[in-house]
Amino acid sequence: MKKWLMQDSWRHLIGISISLFALFPLYLVVISSFASSGSLQLTSFVPKEISFKNYQLLFNNPAIPYLTWAKNSLVIAGSVAVLSVIIGSASAFAFSRLAFKGRKTGIQLLLLVQMFPAILAISAVYVIMERVYKFAPEIGLGTQPGLLLVYLGGAMGVNIWLLKGFVDSIPAELDEAAKIDGASAVQTFWLIFVPLAAPVLAVVALLSFIGTFNEFILARLFLVDMENRTIAVGLQQFIGGQYSQNWGPFAAGSILASIPIVIIFLSLQKYIVSGLTAGSVKG
Amino acid sequence: MMYFLRGKVAFTLKIIVISLISAILLMLTQSAFAQREYVIAAFLGLTVLVLALTYLTKISIPLKFFIPGILLLTAFVIGPILYTVTMSGFNYKTGNIISKEEAILQIKARGIEADPSGISFDIKLGRFDGTEAILVSDIANLKYFISTTSSRVAIDPREVTLNEYGVAISAPNFKALTDSELANADKSYSKRHFIYEGEYFIALEGFEAGVVSRQVLEYVPSTDQFKNLVNGKLYSDNGRGNYSLPSDATAILEPGWRAPIWFENYSKIFTDPRVREPLVRVFIWTIVFATATVLTTFALGLLLALALNKPIRGRRIYRSILVLPYAMPSVMSILIWGGMFNTEFGAINALFGTDIAWFSDPNFARLAVILVNLWLGFPYFYLISSGSLQAIPSELLEAAAIDGANSRQIFRKITLPLLLQILSPLLIASFAFNFNNFNLIFLLTGGGPRNELDGEIAGATDILISYTYKIAFGSSTQDLGLASAISLIIFILVASISLYGLRKSKVLESFS
Amino acid sequence: MNTKRFGFAGVIAAAALAVSTLVAPSASAATEIVVWADESRGPNLTKVIAAKGDWVPGYTIKIVTFSSFDALKEAFDKATDASGPDVVVAANDWVPSGAKSGKLAPIVLTAAVKARFNQTQFLDLTYKGKLYGVPVDINNVAMIYNTKLVSSAPTSFGEMVNYYKANKASKGLKAGLCIAGGGMSWGAHSVFSALGANAYQFNSRNKIVYGRTFSAVTFGKNVRTYLLDGKKSNGFFPATDTGCKDNFLAGTVPFAVIGNWEWKDYVAKGFTMNLMPVPGVVAGTYGHMFGSVSGALLTTFAEKHGVEAGAKSLLTNFFASTDGQVRYQALELRPPAEKGAQADASVSAGQRGFGSAASLAGIPQIGAFLNSNKGGANYWDSAPAYWTAVLIDGKNAVSEASKLAAIWRANVEAGKGDL
Repeated sequence: MKKWLMQDSWRHLIGISISLFALFPLYLVVISSFASSGSLQLTSFVPKEISFKNYQLLFNNPAIPYLTWAKNSLVIAGSVAVLSVIIGSASAFAFSRLAFKGRKTGIQLLLLVQMFPAILAISAVYVIMERVYKFAPEIGLGTQPGLLLVYLGGAMGVNIWLLKGFVDSIPAELDEAAKIDGASAVQTFWLIFVPLAAPVLAVVALLSFIGTFNEFILARLFLVDMENRTIAVGLQQFIGGQYSQNWGPFAAGSILASIPIVIIFLSLQKYIVSGLTAGSVKG
Repeated sequence: MMYFLRGKVAFTLKIIVISLISAILLMLTQSAFAQREYVIAAFLGLTVLVLALTYLTKISIPLKFFIPGILLLTAFVIGPILYTVTMSGFNYKTGNIISKEEAILQIKARGIEADPSGISFDIKLGRFDGTEAILVSDIANLKYFISTTSSRVAIDPREVTLNEYGVAISAPNFKALTDSELANADKSYSKRHFIYEGEYFIALEGFEAGVVSRQVLEYVPSTDQFKNLVNGKLYSDNGRGNYSLPSDATAILEPGWRAPIWFENYSKIFTDPRVREPLVRVFIWTIVFATATVLTTFALGLLLALALNKPIRGRRIYRSILVLPYAMPSVMSILIWGGMFNTEFGAINALFGTDIAWFSDPNFARLAVILVNLWLGFPYFYLISSGSLQAIPSELLEAAAIDGANSRQIFRKITLPLLLQILSPLLIASFAFNFNNFNLIFLLTGGGPRNELDGEIAGATDILISYTYKIAFGSSTQDLGLASAISLIIFILVASISLYGLRKSKVLESFS
Repeated sequence: MNTKRFGFAGVIAAAALAVSTLVAPSASAATEIVVWADESRGPNLTKVIAAKGDWVPGYTIKIVTFSSFDALKEAFDKATDASGPDVVVAANDWVPSGAKSGKLAPIVLTAAVKARFNQTQFLDLTYKGKLYGVPVDINNVAMIYNTKLVSSAPTSFGEMVNYYKANKASKGLKAGLCIAGGGMSWGAHSVFSALGANAYQFNSRNKIVYGRTFSAVTFGKNVRTYLLDGKKSNGFFPATDTGCKDNFLAGTVPFAVIGNWEWKDYVAKGFTMNLMPVPGVVAGTYGHMFGSVSGALLTTFAEKHGVEAGAKSLLTNFFASTDGQVRYQALELRPPAEKGAQADASVSAGQRGFGSAASLAGIPQIGAFLNSNKGGANYWDSAPAYWTAVLIDGKNAVSEASKLAAIWRANVEAGKGDL
């Protein structure tokens, strides 16, 4: 009996201390968001005041269209998540299930491409989208559809690679049975595979959503108009500006932006864990 | 359902969708062509063709799955990568950015020199007997004249109408442009040289002012040289993207253009100590950083996974708290950590009662970077380790226990090796990711601190990617050519490390 | 079957092609002048243009606001004539690189327009004898002191250090003097200068002296006397600017160097303080601070877009005019560069305070010297490195100073040709 308690107490000790480590910065953000001073209140660990000034600023100041930014982020990250998973899973399915010449080369090429330090390619992407803007202003530089296209292209490599791992872990018996029934590869994909892999696809979509939501280097170059910006760009402006360090609104905005993601994350936790490991356990 | 996907309805639907997409793409092709974006037009045109071939014939079934992904990858990943590779062969840096044709135009434009005594006139744009002309008012001397590109006609002061500032606004045979005509006249009038005296002409400086100027530099197309009309000096193409005097290589005309210098950017990496030495230092730190990150995040994640591998009380709560760092948008958490490490005002110093200048001291800055990355990364390894622990067959562990092994032996001899085998692709992926973890370094320390007094370009926490970014976009002299060459070398390094690792872990075996 | 498919698709494609020729975009009319600006200036320029937009007859003016100054710089670095601006409102140190790379175009001002400005301001926007824009705001710093802590203006550097040492424990001071605005290179020049290190030297007739630099021994010894306690920092002057503003506002730092653009923040916090230059080692002298201008710069894209004359007119009629600067600075609240606007009644006390501090101890910021890295590093990188080396790493104050002196001297010499 005592031995068990001992064993459990070290478990709790580790759990508690690392939980504190995980929570500490988050706690500070929460207090800062309720402080009115605008600085990152980090010296006192007990909140001195509870002010909603920062939150009000986000919703009442016409110069800070926070809700519009939130909507933009949701639309862009959401579209990237859905589209890249559809397109990516098709490719992953083909890599995993179809036999064709050059399959190995293809997957190796894909792996190589995503290892290229893409940050330098920004210049080239910028020039391409600038030129697209000249003849199709709706999808070029400065537009959300344009950024969406760039994100989709960029997400392709990682997503196909990740999805392929998942697809491999799904038993092939079912779609082989469908094949015997005379279904074509395309039919097998849509009717058998997609419903079967839905939870896994949802996980990849979520990861893709979070990744896009976080992106700000391309976004701040591409989405210049105030009304077009995403949350990451808008929030970075509070503390990344040349002349200002407004931690208060930044903290408030970050918290509001994180809540939905954290909720989705926590509620899908089970799938995420199985999804993350599926790619590896297969081996 | 099956019928639906196979039947005539589906076929018609497919045709409609493909035709619609083709129609849009064709339209874009056509307008790209109209705007002289031939490369993009060709790509779009080819896309239409490939779409039609793939989806309307039975050439290749796998291609039906790959095409959308391949097209996106080509346009936004492979294309830019090829561009980067190309640029690594060019002298492409501040001062040498534009094309040669453009550079020649600009040198010509800058070769116009204002008269040293600074004579300028108020002017009015218009037409004189139908040709482009300006009505010039020399207010100080009460003189007025009309100047075209071929003639100059003095006007009797009694014949002009003046506005309230004494500027002539009308004269005989002179028809002033209306406000709405001005904008359209901009393009042509801006380039005109209106006759003044001898070599001097009047150049437009806006719509209201003309400045007496002359052309000092003239392009000689036959020999591809620039000639200084005042002192007769000849500037020739120096093969590195500038016109310069043959006698004095430093006397160059600006701007220059991007010129091919083949492998010079690569050889510079190995021969120029100002490039090589920081690069070696940065490379070592990059390896240390990525390795330390993988080890610490994996160790902490595994420790947690082991601790919480039993249904103890509150496990769900722990789990929810512990994944928070992973679920939070990392842009935000990195910036917050940056604030926490502040020397005077930061929570870390306040918590431990220390007075450490975290981001000013190289070693403390490195420690801070690894610590923050640990916070960001351990939940991932916690999640996958606990998933994998459950995947280890319990019979195996029970069998070992029956054989008399204690829990430590079981862990060392069975659990850990199995876990490492299962997780090695993810450990390698994590290494590759952190090798290029630009956001963390960029947002947390900006690569600093660095000691410029000793001629250091790279900061103590700069990793290869952030150092390359600095070379390409960060400093006052931006060298895209050199940065491209370095990024190609980074690519080769990362690719070989990862491929070697993957080969070893036999992931790729399933493709052979 | 196959031919039927192709036929079907062909018909639709042909129809699409026909439609597309009808709706092919026509070249947009070149009557729009596009101005790029950062997150602070952009919104205010937009408001000014919305209130009065007819600065250039026949043109509309479009202001594009970036989310930060860095984002603006990044975009401008990458822009080509396909999307680039006609005018960009930017810092003076953009001029050398922009001109070298062919992104900025020269402009010639008439004598009447030139007369509206202090002639040294044009130095900032000049590269190799050509001017690339018109001055818009003056940027400088000044020292403020917390009047709740310090009753009267300090007359010498030593007086501030003594105050700090005497009150450090009793008032819980975290530092004596810190840099809140302008960073450890630009903003801290006044401290370098107060202790004897100027980035470049002027003779008595205000001409630049080449081939000479500050005395490393004098400066290094001053650093030892005032900033160090043995080999370690005495805590008076922190080597970084982070947290300075917060500490000053919290009353734990009595003196701070702030930028004129942030004055309004301090006023908004209801703070009592006075503005002055940083006092020198000898009573009655002051450390020189940089006075630079931000300019509206003309780009080469304007010519490509066919709006060159229009853009030049916008620069002279709006950016370089009294009316334009008064309207703009009424919102932006920086000291206007144009003389008529400086004299205007709408200029605030803070804007004036910085103006008078600048006239006591300002020197022009000469990008040709400061941006050069012929000495091994440019001014911007070498200056903060000195503070780190001496105040944090405990390196020798004099020998580090002689490295610094050598670097600055070489940079000034190299920058001579660009002026």
